[in-house]
Amino acid sequence: MSITQLSEITATELYARLNRGEDVVILDVRNEDEFKLGAVEGRHAVPQTNIPYFDFIEDEDAALAKVPYTRDQEIVVVCAKGGSSEFVSELLREAGYRTLNLIGGMRDWKDFYAIEDLIPPTDDLQLVQFNRPAKASLSYLVASKGEALVVDPNRNIQPYLTEAERRGLTIRHVMDTHVHADYISGGVALAKATSATYHLSGSCGFEGDLSTDGQPGMIPLGSATVRKIATPGHTPGSMSLLVNDTHLLTGDTVFVRSVGRPDLGGQAEPWAKQLYHTLTVTLAELSDETVVLPSHYSCHKEMRDDFTIAGTLGEIRRHNDGMQAQSEEEFIAYIQRNMRPSPESYARIRQVNLAVLRVDEAELSELDLGKNECAASQNR
Amino acid sequence: MANVTETKTLDAQGLKCPMPIVKAKKELDTLSAGEILKVVATDKGSVLDFQGWAKTAKTAKLLGQETLSEGGRELYVHYIERV
Repeated sequence: MSITQLSEITATELYARLNRGEDVVILDVRNEDEFKLGAVEGRHAVPQTNIPYFDFIEDEDAALAKVPYTRDQEIVVVCAKGGSSEFVSELLREAGYRTLNLIGGMRDWKDFYAIEDLIPPTDDLQLVQFNRPAKASLSYLVASKGEALVVDPNRNIQPYLTEAERRGLTIRHVMDTHVHADYISGGVALAKATSATYHLSGSCGFEGDLSTDGQPGMIPLGSATVRKIATPGHTPGSMSLLVNDTHLLTGDTVFVRSVGRPDLGGQAEPWAKQLYHTLTVTLAELSDETVVLPSHYSCHKEMRDDFTIAGTLGEIRRHNDGMQAQSEEEFIAYIQRNMRPSPESYARIRQVNLAVLRVDEAELSELDLGKNECAASQNR
Repeated sequence: MANVTETKTLDAQGLKCPMPIVKAKKELDTLSAGEILKVVATDKGSVLDFQGWAKTAKTAKLLGQETLSEGGRELYVHYIERV
């Protein structure tokens, strides 16, 4: 029997290795412009080099000489879709290097979510975090007694369907905490695929061909107590979700290290005032032990040892830089100090998510590229 | 492209990267200095990749690129001079 050396790696496996801090190095063979827009990343920084694949076609020896790695290191080769990286990976192997080709390249990486249980799953409550590292986006599956609710689903809805089926759950509710401006929502597609009730804030002009529930109030879900709470600020319609009075899914209202930008709608001051009220009055009723589950993170430093991203309200009250203002004026000043242009694509993404605008698959993919810009301050 | 007459055309339709550049490099090597290769590709990624390749390539100069709509799909056309 011959032993075939493993020559490929999936996005899921690569992310797990980066998070565990295993010894691995990255060779990205896309063109320079694409590489600059975003590369693979995980909890632990690893060496990354960009040598475009066409350099290997133009002058193989010269390109090989530029590879800054040794033949003992395991090199993961990355490209846009997995074809060019396979080509370079083969060349490196012939030259005696150890390589793994990232299957599906950045196309698969962009669509992949890491899935972690936030609490030990029971029949009464399951809380599952879906982390999409390409966007630094988080979405959630909440379940009780076989019924599930998915919160802030991203564009690739298959992982939610697969995970619900694997756990024997029926998706009854899908919720977008607000009209997202930074990514193409999977909310409508998932609600349609599962015939679930779609929850989206009522006042925001949705024109899709399914009815939405936009009111604050209870969501019936098995034996769990799930309450939608109006938490305006990031957008006027933003809602959070309180589960069993212990976990607060905040959408883009509060993150672990910052708060949601209230300036993306072009009305920084009035929305900042709403956000200040949400942070200091609405959330003040909740205890320090409440676990905050946001829909984004700023960087992988926020990842905890169990590979999840969360923080207690107590920690957030003490350390989150959006929670330190002593007055509304101080808070508005903090927002204004950190303001930066919103990405050009955001107005269009918002229209797509409201089903006001329809675009083809290619443009959907393009709009959905790049990391989110939703936090008021950048902690990197 | 106006003002450019190709010596040879490479049909790279349906080819995924790295093949359009692998084949273009091979074809270009058969041409003489000053002759022009036209590459017709369907891979959108080829636009930036041909630009990147031409920047470092010793024997290739990118004269121009154009996008054509044909039968409901996009064709990405690259004109490369052998130098």
